[in-house]
Amino acid sequence: MKHTEILLVEDDYLDVESVKRTLKKNNVSHKLHVAHNGVDAIEMLTKDEKRIIPNVILLDINMPKMNGIEFLGIIKSYYSLKNIQIFIITTSAEEYDKMATSNLGISGYILKPLDLKNKKSDDTEKLLSLLTQ
Amino acid sequence: MTIRFQLFTGFIILILIFVIDFFVNQGLSNQVIKNTTYISSSESVIRNSNILHKDMIEMQSGYRGFLLTGQIAFLQPYYEGLRTVPPLMKEQRKLLSTPQQKYILDSINLLHSQWVEYSNSLIKSRLDTLAGSKKYIELFNAKFRKQVGKHLNDRIHQAFLALDNSEYKIRREKRAALQNALYKTRVLTLSLTITSIIVALLSSFYFIQVITSRISKMVRQAQTISNGQFVVIEDKKKDELNQLAISLNTMSETLQKNFNDLTKKNTELDQFAYVVSHDLKAPMRGIANIISWIEEDHSHELSTDLYKNLMLIKGRTIRLENMINGLLEYARVDKVRRGAEITNINQLLKEIIDLHVPPGYGINIIGEMPVFKTEKIHIQQVFSNLISNAVKYNNNQQPKIVITCEEKKEHYIFSVSDNGPGIEEQYFDKIFVIFQTLQERDAFESTGVGLAIVKKIIDDYKGTISIKSEPDHGSTFSFTWPKSIA
Repeated sequence: MKHTEILLVEDDYLDVESVKRTLKKNNVSHKLHVAHNGVDAIEMLTKDEKRIIPNVILLDINMPKMNGIEFLGIIKSYYSLKNIQIFIITTSAEEYDKMATSNLGISGYILKPLDLKNKKSDDTEKLLSLLTQ
Repeated sequence: MTIRFQLFTGFIILILIFVIDFFVNQGLSNQVIKNTTYISSSESVIRNSNILHKDMIEMQSGYRGFLLTGQIAFLQPYYEGLRTVPPLMKEQRKLLSTPQQKYILDSINLLHSQWVEYSNSLIKSRLDTLAGSKKYIELFNAKFRKQVGKHLNDRIHQAFLALDNSEYKIRREKRAALQNALYKTRVLTLSLTITSIIVALLSSFYFIQVITSRISKMVRQAQTISNGQFVVIEDKKKDELNQLAISLNTMSETLQKNFNDLTKKNTELDQFAYVVSHDLKAPMRGIANIISWIEEDHSHELSTDLYKNLMLIKGRTIRLENMINGLLEYARVDKVRRGAEITNINQLLKEIIDLHVPPGYGINIIGEMPVFKTEKIHIQQVFSNLISNAVKYNNNQQPKIVITCEEKKEHYIFSVSDNGPGIEEQYFDKIFVIFQTLQERDAFESTGVGLAIVKKIIDDYKGTISIKSEPDHGSTFSFTWPKSIA
């Protein structure tokens, strides 16, 4: 995919750095946008002046202002954002988080830290193949 | 009304009935005795009456014989009668019971006195005649010929008949009264006995109803409480048992409240442990990330000492992460209950052994392993921790693991044995406490969570776990597992 762009929605600086490094290690050189919470991310996706159109969103759940689940609820109502593949990247292995997100049209649920070489997770492999096409 | 008072009243009623019975019987038997005494004295009245009458008749015939013959020998019964009649009269008067009879007797006495006076004058004159007097002929003609004596005698005879008849009549009446008294005694005694039996039976039934049924209700309540269901019962009577019922209900409610509080506290504690360990993970992982980035990007710039210290920090971070993961796992144990499913223990053991036991181990599963319905994930966790411990700490050249199963009425006893270093008895309790390890962490990396989780799961199923071990002779962990989950 030639014009692949990634939006990382993550509040923790270290986690942002961690994702950047992982992508770099796996030779993923697509443009990476970073939003530090759900509100910023919605703005970036919808406000005209600085609008971005990513193919993939990497979404944290626990964030200030607007968490990942609330973000997903809002995104759903935008027809134009329907084709974006959204992957949850979280520390929460909780059943109720998995349940809450599975109904919101996500493409995968990946546990932190993001490790694209982890062969045990189908969702990770799915993300890797998407990014290295 | 208190039970004490009711019991007391019941007994008082019974005692009253017996007292009434006693006095009524006493009265009736007095009557019987009186009537019996009368009947026997009546016999004497009739006998005396006959003797009196006979004595008088003998006096009369003796007197007549003397008048006709003039022989003095005929007067012997007459004089005898004069002597015997007065005391007999006296005795008879005492025996008679009614004034009417006494009147008759008095009239007899009067008539007899008149006759004695009359006869005496004739006898005297007759004796004088024998001595030559003429007065007898005048008297004989004036009195004997006019049958004065006969009239007197007839009247005496009639009076005696009347006396006897009245006596017979009274005797009949008394006999009837005696019969009646005896009959009354029987009827009264019988009815009082029946009444007291009925009262006793009724009060027994009442007390059985009031006390026994309520006591068994409370016994059932206590049993239900001991089974962990804190029920209350309804008891509206105001007595001593009601006090017991109120106490039982209060106890049940207090237990329920405390139990709820405890459950809530335990849940809160687990949630606390979970949240704390979950939130601790993020900054800790951040530190680990920074260290690995320094290692990746700057290792050539670092001095040997700095690098060594950096690696120490890295080691401690890994240990901290392991401990947090252990704590998380421990806190999660009973949060997840997926429901019972048919579990094949033999199959489950094979999977665990494939995962945790390296080749070269002697594995011996002794006896038939059961297939039963239970919470698979939990028994799997118990076996998994025990078997991985048996591998982890085993330093024997020929390591072995033995697994056994014994079936009991309501549970199984499983055991996992190894031929590892063994544990000293003084540490038996310590090893089940979270984060407790028997070796220095620097020498042997272990979180000390595994056995704590095992214990927590087994406690959750109200089972027991025990350990048998001697240093250098291996260890055996035995635990019970219920056949069915409540």
